[in-house]
Amino acid sequence: MADALPFAGVFPSGEAAGPFGRRLRRPRGARVPVILVTGFLGAGKTTLVKSLLESEAGRNTAVVVNEFGEIGIDQALLAPSAEGGVALLGNGCLCCAVRSDLEETFRQLFTDRARGAIPSFERVVLELSGADDPLPVLQTFLGERALAREYHIQSVIAVVDAATGRAALRDNPEARRQVALADRMVVSKSDLATSGEMDALMAELRALNADAPVRTADHGAVDPDFLLAESSLPAPSPLRADAPAHAPGLTSFVLRFDAPLPWRALTAALGLLCEMRGADLLRVKGLVAVEGCRGPVVIHAVRHLLHRPVELEAWPDAERASRLVFITSGDLARQPVEDLFRAVARLGPP
Amino acid sequence: MDITRADSRPSAIWNFRLIGHHELNGFGGMGEGLSMQMAKDGRRILWAAHESAPKNFTAIDVTNPRDPKVVVQTDLPHQQMRSNSLETVGDIMAVAYQTKKVGLEPAGFELFDISTPENPKSIGFFDASGPYSRGVHQLWFCDGEYVHLSSGARDFQPHDPKDDQFYRIVDVRNPSKPEEVGRWWMPGQRVGDNAPKIQRHPSHMDTGFRAHNTNVYPQRPDRCYLGYIDGGMYILDISDKSLPRVISNWDNSPPYYGFTHTILPLFGRDLFVVTDESVVDNAADWPKLVWILDGRDERNPVPIATCPMPPVADFRNRGGRFGAHNVHENMPLPGHWFSENIILATFFNGGLRAFDITDPYAPKEVAHFVPEAPRNSPLGAIQINDVFVDDRGIVYCVDRKIGGLYILEMDF
Repeated sequence: MADALPFAGVFPSGEAAGPFGRRLRRPRGARVPVILVTGFLGAGKTTLVKSLLESEAGRNTAVVVNEFGEIGIDQALLAPSAEGGVALLGNGCLCCAVRSDLEETFRQLFTDRARGAIPSFERVVLELSGADDPLPVLQTFLGERALAREYHIQSVIAVVDAATGRAALRDNPEARRQVALADRMVVSKSDLATSGEMDALMAELRALNADAPVRTADHGAVDPDFLLAESSLPAPSPLRADAPAHAPGLTSFVLRFDAPLPWRALTAALGLLCEMRGADLLRVKGLVAVEGCRGPVVIHAVRHLLHRPVELEAWPDAERASRLVFITSGDLARQPVEDLFRAVARLGPP
Repeated sequence: MDITRADSRPSAIWNFRLIGHHELNGFGGMGEGLSMQMAKDGRRILWAAHESAPKNFTAIDVTNPRDPKVVVQTDLPHQQMRSNSLETVGDIMAVAYQTKKVGLEPAGFELFDISTPENPKSIGFFDASGPYSRGVHQLWFCDGEYVHLSSGARDFQPHDPKDDQFYRIVDVRNPSKPEEVGRWWMPGQRVGDNAPKIQRHPSHMDTGFRAHNTNVYPQRPDRCYLGYIDGGMYILDISDKSLPRVISNWDNSPPYYGFTHTILPLFGRDLFVVTDESVVDNAADWPKLVWILDGRDERNPVPIATCPMPPVADFRNRGGRFGAHNVHENMPLPGHWFSENIILATFFNGGLRAFDITDPYAPKEVAHFVPEAPRNSPLGAIQINDVFVDDRGIVYCVDRKIGGLYILEMDF
């Protein structure tokens, strides 16, 4: 395995570092966590974000919205800001409207914080517009070097309206993608739906996304810890892996490998997949046991982009098998992907 | 009175989690001595030196870091002295005594048996008082056998009163009878030297040519990594303790403002981390930095980077000092955290900051903690003075003036 560190050969990397740099306690390392809140128009995203900001756990949050008006912040909470475009809120939070584009907004947010122009925030909540497809946003955070270095998409949260959610999922491919790509789901306005409607909605959500934990909002709010938690990977149960979720145009499946993979084989397989079928590779996330690494290596890919891998200090549970979750579109199904990985793994060292 | 302020609010916190705060019974002005004792009864006791009188040292039971408890807090014999520095090895603790003026007593260091933390028993004293001496400012005690100190001595007359402390090695294998076995000072520092007098820094930046930190690691017992304030950094060969010899000297001042404080060698990585202490309020001696040096050839340490600082404009007028000071020093002892990739450093009103130096050419800040001004703060700002990390990764840092002890978890 090639040592990826830029100073390799000059200074030893230190006991705490592996071939991918310092081994991290969690995938984000020291990067600022970004929580992406998606959901179809009127699903209750703004109410959810506001409830988070008002909670103790939501202190020191920066919120990025398309327009200030959208978040509906009480004007009394706004204070004069050091920089135009950023509103300081109570509770140590701040709110920022998207400037010329998302990249510019996030770069500016980070540099403003570094030079002390805005308060030090602990996390960013990015509230997308109802019709936004989260995929290009995920791509931006993976593909833009400055953003990838400073920010980490901690989770994608999809908010679904209990009353109108099924119609939205039926009629809008964006709504289906929002759910399929989510790490967590929140069902809002459950008081407006019958228990039968709720059951039907849950079944549809599970068909699109079998693994993301779901919570029902109470008056628009859920436990802040649920929103702030790191996304976790599904336990590598063979049952789950053998029962891939299907929905029109979307597929998700989990691959599991018991033996550690050679890094060369893993990158060869992922590289080939990204190159040849990137358009259908909506999201790949996984923890992989890599030969020669002490902890699991975190893999995250969106379409053609594979994020720089990071090695964790330790596995999150007793399981040591590699697990890779694929969310794909079109006809990219489990079998050819698994065949590719197994074939490449068999090749062994060159 | 035992006040714990669990509701302390940081004014800025990133990638640290504040889990405890203790005002140390209203005597929360702490020096640069923090040391962990793994007591035989299973408790973890953090020993902390006070920055100034009336208190000498405080022991805090941090077995549960969310519920720190003061075990003992002792008084100094008088107001014209302070302890400032201490270290523990097993059940023995060495405590520095420095007087406000030369000629006062007690000046030196005291050894305690702390096997019962509630009842530290004095078992030895090393006298460093004298007509030109303020005693001991800082001490290093890591191997249980020798104390390495920045100290004056009865027989040591400096040309300049600011140059009163030098490097001394004291054998404490018989704690009741500590005995000096070696010493070193900068040529030209002492009256009677056959070397030319030291060329001083310009008067507005002359903080003295004297010893500060005297780090000697068991991994390399033949080396002393010596901060010499305006003299820069020295690496000494102490394989013959009676005759320390200079291997190299790295000095950044002028143009910098001197006060080289600590040299932390990263033996596994051929690197040195060097701090300069800010000693003037309102960042008048800015920039005081944490430097990274290429240590592949100890005869020629080469600066390759500094750890990034927050904007001076944001901190200069907050009150008190702003700039580097102490780092967690990687003593290879039970209960101590060890890292050659993450550096934790204190910056007075700039709080506590952690840096990832995995790529030593590009240190990156990965966490910070700047508490709000402590209650009754005379400066209106925090002055984070020293930091220690235990082997659980729990971080302890202290305010220099009044705020006491802050306990944090690393979250990065």
